[in-house]
Amino acid sequence: MMDFKIDTNFYTVSQVRHLTEHAFVVQVPRRNFKFTAGQHLVLGMKDDYHTREYSIYSGENEEVLEVLVKEVEEGYLSPRLKQVKEGDSLEIHGPFGHFGIEEKKRDTHKHVFIASGSGIAPFRSMVKTYPELDYQLIHGVRTIDEGYERENYSTDRYVLCTSRDDNGDFKGRVTAYLHEQEFDKNTQFYLCGNSQMIFDVLELLKNKGFGRDSVSAEVYF
Amino acid sequence: MKRVSFKTLGCRLNQYETDSMVSEFHKAGYEIVDFGQPADICVVNTCTVTNQSDHKSRNIISQAASKNPGAMVVVTGCMADNYKQELESRDKVTYVVDNSRKASILPLIAAHNTGEILHPDQLPQNVFDYGAVSKSLHTRSAIKIQDGCDNFCTFCIIPKVRGRAVSRPIDEILNNVKQTLENGFKEIVVTGVNIGRYNYEGLTFIDVVKQILAIPGDFRVRISSLEPDGFSSDFFDLFEHPKLAPHLHLCLQSGSEKTLLQMRRMYNLDQYQEMVRQLRNKYPNFNISTDIIVGFPDESEEDFQHTLDAVASAQFSHVHTFKYSVRKGTRAERMENQIPEPIKTIRSEQVRLLSEENRLNYMRTFIGKEQRVLIEKVREDFVEGYGEHYLPVQIANSQLKKNTFVLVKITGITGEGEKLMMIGEPI
Ligand SMILES: Cc1cc2nc3c(=O)[nH]c(=O)nc-3n(C[C@H](O)[C@H](O)[C@H](O)COP(=O)(O)OP(=O)(O)OC[C@H]3O[C@@H](n4cnc5c(N)ncnc54)[C@H](O)[C@@H]3O)c2cc1C
Ligand code: SF4
Repeated sequence: MMDFKIDTNFYTVSQVRHLTEHAFVVQVPRRNFKFTAGQHLVLGMKDDYHTREYSIYSGENEEVLEVLVKEVEEGYLSPRLKQVKEGDSLEIHGPFGHFGIEEKKRDTHKHVFIASGSGIAPFRSMVKTYPELDYQLIHGVRTIDEGYERENYSTDRYVLCTSRDDNGDFKGRVTAYLHEQEFDKNTQFYLCGNSQMIFDVLELLKNKGFGRDSVSAEVYF
Repeated sequence: MKRVSFKTLGCRLNQYETDSMVSEFHKAGYEIVDFGQPADICVVNTCTVTNQSDHKSRNIISQAASKNPGAMVVVTGCMADNYKQELESRDKVTYVVDNSRKASILPLIAAHNTGEILHPDQLPQNVFDYGAVSKSLHTRSAIKIQDGCDNFCTFCIIPKVRGRAVSRPIDEILNNVKQTLENGFKEIVVTGVNIGRYNYEGLTFIDVVKQILAIPGDFRVRISSLEPDGFSSDFFDLFEHPKLAPHLHLCLQSGSEKTLLQMRRMYNLDQYQEMVRQLRNKYPNFNISTDIIVGFPDESEEDFQHTLDAVASAQFSHVHTFKYSVRKGTRAERMENQIPEPIKTIRSEQVRLLSEENRLNYMRTFIGKEQRVLIEKVREDFVEGYGEHYLPVQIANSQLKKNTFVLVKITGITGEGEKLMMIGEPI
């Protein structure tokens, strides 16, 4: 006897928000997809076996599920995702991963989020999920327009570091900004984005006395 | 009586799944024959973790078909998931059964023999539907507690072929262990894809091991390959239990922080070395072995030197060295600066030589000490087995029986390279 199962991994796109020429947010209804802020999902186009991982951009309790995608022009999936329109179908699996805020540290620690480019995605999910969180978000980008949807973060908690223009809150890389900062002992650090930035920040934090036990990292590439 | 042969490639988990199938076929009245002997049904449990495993798997499938014309050839395992269409299109392959349906191969074949042709995709999916091993060519039996992995290390195909992490219900695990012990096994190996991430209704990996250790009887428990992340300090206390073997295969993969990040490993070198330090502080002779990948994309001479330094400082008793091989569909496939094969070969050889030196030094520390050996092979003049530290011991006495424990004093070392062995005298 054949078992028929409705494939629940297909989602219909409900909205696409283009933030810059290369960055956009894809939204689908959340249905009963359960996750914890910081986790990622695996996304693919219908009838295409190529899939990629994307951090979840929306909060745990929102009715929608969102990802923030930065197009890699020479890449495979991201240019195709950029063409996606409302009503298109996407295949989504997940959630996956262990990146996130440990529950027992949530209210007892200060949380410093350090992101490069689209690496801001899991932090937006955390901020949306825990509105009371004591956090600081340091976002490294090239130009000011890459401060994706910065209105989501209160101005006193968000620092935009721009390396190619001086319209951000700090001119230079996140490492240069961090170099000048002092942190409380009970600070937890969360790094997300490219491995070179994460490597540099880990070194810098180590020199400031924060070992890997106070740092978690999500490497995109 | 139908004759069935099995061939397993790859990891301990695959071996366990084959052993369990062997037991089920035996119980159902099939005659189990060695692979290579004439058979009516050949089951090949493949592996796809490296290019070499693909190559070996393909060879074995061809052998199974050519040596047994007209036999039913059933291909399962990770390669069956990764190259399903290609395998299905091979004339000589009767069925391709993916990992999640592997436990249903017996009903599939039984149906086939009565003329009912099922498509493997109609079989139920259950990654834990394996009974206790009763018939096996081994003296130790694995116990599967977990399957799948969500870590997405950039070189690894496992999350794609084994699927997401799932944990086996604790009652099933304990029943499986009890049954396996009743079947006469003296050593069980706690196995899965990423067992450290076990989580079933709030129970962790540590809880599972504790509950297995609490089962009465004279047996030994070994932990199979472990990813070095997510452990609390009470993990180290587990090894105070006399039934838990003081050995861990802790996968390091690289000694370079940069490479570890590019691999998306969940720990750094400091954390790894801290684990080694804690284990050796508490249990000075603790045996740690590891996996190392050489020639990962962008691995510089400096990165590789960090790996050599890490291998030297951890004094691993064994290093399973893999030359990085591109797996289709992984993130590392798309990375720049792939390393040429000749450089990988040189690096792999360097690790091997260092590892052999470490192994000899480590074995020397056992001379004059006691080991409790579980006899695995009985030869004409001597027997062989493994001590609790998972080092091979040869004992010159043919009176000892397979699958019995014997306490010995280590008196010397014989053999060389990978074949080093300790010599023991019964006390
Ligand atoms: C756990 C995880 C979560 C991720 N979450 C996100 C996310 O929320 N948003 C997102 O845009 N990407 C994310 N990524 C990266 C994403 O999976 C894809 O790699 C990316 O969208 C490019 O896909 P592609 O097929 O177009 O190009 P690919 O063929 O995958 O990549 C080509 C090259 O582009 C570079 N690259 C990859 N990702 C990026 C990036 N984000 N920015 C700049 N260069 C990149 C790499 O050098 C890569 O080798 C995540 C990756 C991982 C492992
Ligand atoms: S932890 Fe990494 S290497 Fe191990 S199975 Fe999971 S993805 Fe593969």
